[in-house]
Amino acid sequence: MLPLGLLNASAGQPMMVELKSGESYNGHLVNCDNWMNINLKDVICTSADGDRFWKISEAYIRGSVIKYLRIPEEVLDKVKEKSANNSSNNNERTSQRGGRGGQRGGRRGGSSRN
Amino acid sequence: MDQKDNKKSQNAKRGGRGGGRGGGRGGLHSQKKEAILDLAKYLNKKINVKFSGGREVVGVLKGYDPLQNLVLDECEEFLKIRDEENNTTQEESSRKLGLIVCRSTAIILLCPIDGMEEIDNPFVQKSE
Repeated sequence: MLPLGLLNASAGQPMMVELKSGESYNGHLVNCDNWMNINLKDVICTSADGDRFWKISEAYIRGSVIKYLRIPEEVLDKVKEKSANNSSNNNERTSQRGGRGGQRGGRRGGSSRN
Repeated sequence: MDQKDNKKSQNAKRGGRGGGRGGGRGGLHSQKKEAILDLAKYLNKKINVKFSGGREVVGVLKGYDPLQNLVLDECEEFLKIRDEENNTTQEESSRKLGLIVCRSTAIILLCPIDGMEEIDNPFVQKSE
């Protein structure tokens, strides 16, 4: 399971994002990209000291400033489904161009036996 | 000139692969994936932008580019005083900046002012 795979599968889910500055953002994930830039909606922002709170309709957060994200457990099931689909797709793909990988493995095994 | 020629010959040696890769990446990421945020909907609206380093401004979005550099008009910076003892920041005052260009790489947070308000702790009731 890849971090960005998990994040991609969490679209629409509620999550908590803490920034390196200590501020945290609770909201529903709208969108994310390969840099972990994320788009949240219906956000509650908490200041770094935890004393002040803001309601924000939507927020765009740069991926490089994120410390961590808390994601609901249910997403795991979705990811498993997705990754199962992907791996079956991948298998098809590798079998198409597969000769290469297979041969390599075979040769390697052979030489080690010799 | 010499440098240029060197570069060229290097490129020629390992050329095909590097060129192909670069092209592919540019196509996939910078074009399609870049726009997870549609800034068009914020045009001529007031937005709040936080920068790396701690500065924060509010301004009217007048323009943007594919890299998400922004043009903000009637921009106002909210200055913060950092209290190192208590480890807190407080908004003290603001100053007018007027028309500015924000560099995309410095932007860490972007949100519309419309619908933004300070609220009481919303997590208290949940935990009780």
